[in-house]
Amino acid sequence: MAQVNRRKFLKISSAFLASSAAGLGWPLITKTSKAQGIAEPDRIVSTTCEICFWRCGVDAYVRDEKVYKLAGHKDHPLSNGKLCPRGNGGQGLLYDPNRLKHPLIRETVNGKEQFRKASWDEATSLIAERFGKITKQYGTESVVMFSHGFGASFFKTLFSAYGIHTFSAPSYAQCRGPRSEAFKLTFGHAIGSPEGLDIANSRYLVLLGSHLGENMHNTAVQDFSSAISKGCEVVVVDPRFSVAAGKAKHWLPIKPGTDLALLRGWIHILLKEKRYDIEFIEQNAVGLEELWQGVKYATPEQTYAITGIPVEQIVQVARDLGRYGSSALVHPGRHVTWYGDDTQRERAIAILNALIGNYRMPGGIIRQEKFTPIKATLNQEKFKPYKADFPVTQNASHTFQSRYPFASQVPANEIVDQTISGSPYPVKSWFVYGTNLIQSLGNQPATLKALQQLDFVVAVDVLPAEITGYADVILPECTYLERYDDLDNRTYRTPYVAIRQPVVEPLYESKPGHEIARLLSEKMGMPDLFKDDIETYLNKQLKQMDSSLDELKKVGVLKVSEKNLYRQPGEALQFKTPSGKIELASSRLREAGFDAVPQYQPPPENPPGYFRLLYGRAPMHTFGRTANNRVLGELMPENELWVNQVAGRDMKLKHGEYVYLVNQDGVKSTTKIKIRLTERIRPDAVYMVHGFGHTDARLEFAYQRGVNSSDMITQLSTDPIMGATGMNNNFVTFTRS
Amino acid sequence: MTELVTNKINPNVIPHLHIWGWDVAIYLFLGGIAGGLLIISAAMILLQKGGIFSPEEQTAEYSRQIQVASLLAPVLLGVGMFFLFLDLEFKMHVWRFYTNFNLTSPMSWGSWALLIFFPFSVFQAIVVCQFSQIPRFLFLASWESTLKPYLNKIAAVNVHVGMGIGVYTGILLSTYYARPLWSNTVLGFVFLLSGLSSAAALLLLIAPSREKQLYSKIDMYIIAAEGFATTLFILGGITGTENMKNAMLYLIAGPYAPWFWILFVLAGLIIPLVLETLEAIGKIRFSPFVPLLVLIGSISLRFIIVYAGQEIPTFS
Amino acid sequence: MSRKRNYAMVIDTHVCVGCSACVYACKAENEVPEGFCRDWIEQKVEGHFPKLTMEIRSNRCQHCEEAPCVTYCPTGSSHYAGDGTVQIDRNWCTGCKACLAACPYDARYVHPEGFVDKCSFCQHRLKQGLQPACVTTCPTSALKLVDLNSNDGLYRQLIEGRTVTQDKVPAGTQPKLFWLH
Repeated sequence: MAQVNRRKFLKISSAFLASSAAGLGWPLITKTSKAQGIAEPDRIVSTTCEICFWRCGVDAYVRDEKVYKLAGHKDHPLSNGKLCPRGNGGQGLLYDPNRLKHPLIRETVNGKEQFRKASWDEATSLIAERFGKITKQYGTESVVMFSHGFGASFFKTLFSAYGIHTFSAPSYAQCRGPRSEAFKLTFGHAIGSPEGLDIANSRYLVLLGSHLGENMHNTAVQDFSSAISKGCEVVVVDPRFSVAAGKAKHWLPIKPGTDLALLRGWIHILLKEKRYDIEFIEQNAVGLEELWQGVKYATPEQTYAITGIPVEQIVQVARDLGRYGSSALVHPGRHVTWYGDDTQRERAIAILNALIGNYRMPGGIIRQEKFTPIKATLNQEKFKPYKADFPVTQNASHTFQSRYPFASQVPANEIVDQTISGSPYPVKSWFVYGTNLIQSLGNQPATLKALQQLDFVVAVDVLPAEITGYADVILPECTYLERYDDLDNRTYRTPYVAIRQPVVEPLYESKPGHEIARLLSEKMGMPDLFKDDIETYLNKQLKQMDSSLDELKKVGVLKVSEKNLYRQPGEALQFKTPSGKIELASSRLREAGFDAVPQYQPPPENPPGYFRLLYGRAPMHTFGRTANNRVLGELMPENELWVNQVAGRDMKLKHGEYVYLVNQDGVKSTTKIKIRLTERIRPDAVYMVHGFGHTDARLEFAYQRGVNSSDMITQLSTDPIMGATGMNNNFVTFTRS
Repeated sequence: MTELVTNKINPNVIPHLHIWGWDVAIYLFLGGIAGGLLIISAAMILLQKGGIFSPEEQTAEYSRQIQVASLLAPVLLGVGMFFLFLDLEFKMHVWRFYTNFNLTSPMSWGSWALLIFFPFSVFQAIVVCQFSQIPRFLFLASWESTLKPYLNKIAAVNVHVGMGIGVYTGILLSTYYARPLWSNTVLGFVFLLSGLSSAAALLLLIAPSREKQLYSKIDMYIIAAEGFATTLFILGGITGTENMKNAMLYLIAGPYAPWFWILFVLAGLIIPLVLETLEAIGKIRFSPFVPLLVLIGSISLRFIIVYAGQEIPTFS
Repeated sequence: MSRKRNYAMVIDTHVCVGCSACVYACKAENEVPEGFCRDWIEQKVEGHFPKLTMEIRSNRCQHCEEAPCVTYCPTGSSHYAGDGTVQIDRNWCTGCKACLAACPYDARYVHPEGFVDKCSFCQHRLKQGLQPACVTTCPTSALKLVDLNSNDGLYRQLIEGRTVTQDKVPAGTQPKLFWLH
């Protein structure tokens, strides 16, 4: 279906390129010609970044109504005046010539499907009409909203009022979900995002697969750097010599898939040698004996046999953990859906942190909170003006029930399965906001199959992507630099509230999410849902924080100083677990029939001639979302496949040559990838940066550059505890034709 | 095992310096040959009072070769300078060379020296070529008569100007100590001698058969000297710092080695030297093949040095 | 030469992760055209699996005390500014590229508009009392601008207890990027 649309879009795009070449030129390059100095900005607008989902404060520099530069906002606690490479290149999204420019509706002309330009009125009317029909026939539960990103809030309000309650985000079951559930099971609360980790003050930091520095969350990397500067010893467990490994005292090139065995080995040593925080555990934890029984046989020797890490290193790290105690930290990672044992692996990490007693201690796990003035003065009724007075129009006859007992959010892959099977109730329509499900979910064939079975698909996005090619209606949202969003009032160590505000007028016919939601609310028969305009709405909330929209627009962020990060000596701790204590052995897991203490199951082995496919991030890209960003793409236009030097030579691979990949299920990549022969990876695994290999020709820059790792991920190892899709049990080999 | 990765994207320096190409190589060749022609013609004027070699040609005071050499010197230099101009990235600012003099910049010296000394080669051409005998150049008659008495002095200057131009083409490269192949004091001499031998070869090509043996001999001696200078150039490189040694090895044993040894050393030096020696002792007859080989060797040298010199990292 | 200021940069290779934020920030700040850069990342890995070491650095013009580009520039376009930086006056540049050949650090490029360009330490920002764009944005704080003529002690404080190196010292350029190891 996407094929059909290509020709038309290419036409539009090349027309744009021609006109821009004749007229203004690539808007980022102004002719400074002979100028010695650089002209001053006309204005600087403080807003919130959305090139990734960390949400740093940025200052946008505008000259002649063009954003020419973005810099970190000085007072924003997430940016501290600094900005990651992606944030620095945000204007590349704003001025992407391939942006969605107007609403599009799929239609069939002479048996051929194609998109045609539509007015906002027509497009939103069609959506309201189709949703009306579908919900009438199949109930509101047959419509599901997928989202990624902060701008989704208005649509959630809209759909909640309409009686649609199934909201799913790949950031759960395809990313951080296992971490959240494991920490909830252990400590009674999740670790949060941004993580409630005191990395900056850690004196001993263990990273498992987490490649800080390549995974470029601004504040996390600032903290990491700060820790290193202060002499923090870093241990990196990674089959690849990552940038973080380059900073580490110990790099443990573990056999992929055996991390849980290593963690159990460390727990074993801490317990056996009594190097854990005995007093803290006695007072605050339950299940110590059960834990010991569970790891009794995880000796260093056995751990070595599984992981390939030398016994001395295993022992040394465990003893160091004990020695540094509460100032050490075993980082739980962020994208943790690897092998299907992810919740248990994260549990083991949580247990390790508990054992060394770093809970609410400097350098350990810390307490985060929201901007306090809200808490103090918040009037709940008034605070949610959109939802407050509006009754839900329809009631769903089913609510989504995950088959995984500990799924606290909706696993996106389960919706895919349910769409295909139609049971326990049919899913007939997807509303997709800002997430390219085809690249983000893995097991692409299933996603495509589900899409074929849907009656109606709506995509709201800034850029075309594979998913928009399958939509019936595409609504072009403007970028974060052209719109207001909800206030960013997030839980963080430094409580803050920050604004996202338009820096420049929306380009083309694109509209901000709140306006799209309002248009839809009118068509869907809820004209009063968004009765305040966005500025009034934001101002109302800010008034309750003793501020105003005017003030926040000027200062960008309000914050209060951090407090209560750490526990006081003798402070009694309460945990929201069944026992009220840290659960070293989880009673809830036991009750649900799972291992109360994490047990190691070996992952599938490499078929002969195949390499385990690992993937990760590059500092200048956010998944596939930035692949078409010409500013960011300049330094990294494509991904490479890292292959161990020796293993690659054995396979007769040449450095720099382009090959296709074939996975264990015989699936061949649609594009080619450049081989990088390197010493920096184990011989049994290969690595690539995720987010490349776009097959939508409308992304003219990203089109067919590199390979999309998701193409090769056809085996999803589902975590039985909460439904996360482990993606690292896939294996590839190479072909030149 | 070292893996070096950079995201530097500047095409001028990635994967290695890449600023000067064929136009500069051509300039170096033309400048060299122009310098050689000027030296030979001026020397002949000084030594022999030209014409002595062509007693039959009573109409010409100077032999055809001296006239051609005198005329070609400024013309080829001019063409060479035009190629250098073509290489400028900001051609509108070419006049900026003459709003400043930088004592430490060879290019600054070169541009000022050219301004001052170029006229001398033109003066020589005016007198020697006797343009005023051609009706449409009649206006040069007064110049010619004014300059004629000073011809010996002009020629005396021009011998040095020619040397200067020849050496300068080498100095232009050899002062860049950041480029270890170029940064070799002998390079100036190699280029000077190569320019001279090309000039002699050119004259050999156009000389009447009775004079060919003279130019062939001149060329032979110069090529012998050039071979000697080239040897010093190579030795200077491989006995230099590690930096210079690697650069020289890159030239004589790297990707440019076939070109260097076959085109320049074998075809441009050894074969002409052998053939000219055989000619000189009367074993074989003159063949235009020999001077052509010299010219090809000479132009290859400039190309090889310009390109290879940019490919070697510096002080790494 | 007595100068009021003498700017230099101290770069901590221990914390630099090579994210390239400096490159993007520079390109936006200085309107560096597509396909060119004034600063860049170098990542060097040595050894054999699994015994490997890595060094990452954010590199740029060294603003040498004895700058070959200034020595070789025929027109005076490349010059020492009074603040210890090396600058290019675009109005004087002929694009002869002598400076590119002369620079042992390959720190320069030819701007599509004809003149040669390179890192200026964001001189226009320094004049306003701001830090260079790369220094400002660097998430790891690996980049620090120091004034060697100042008595604020920042340079001493940064190099305290650290191994300090300069690049290509035998080139005799007296470079002013100081690398901390």
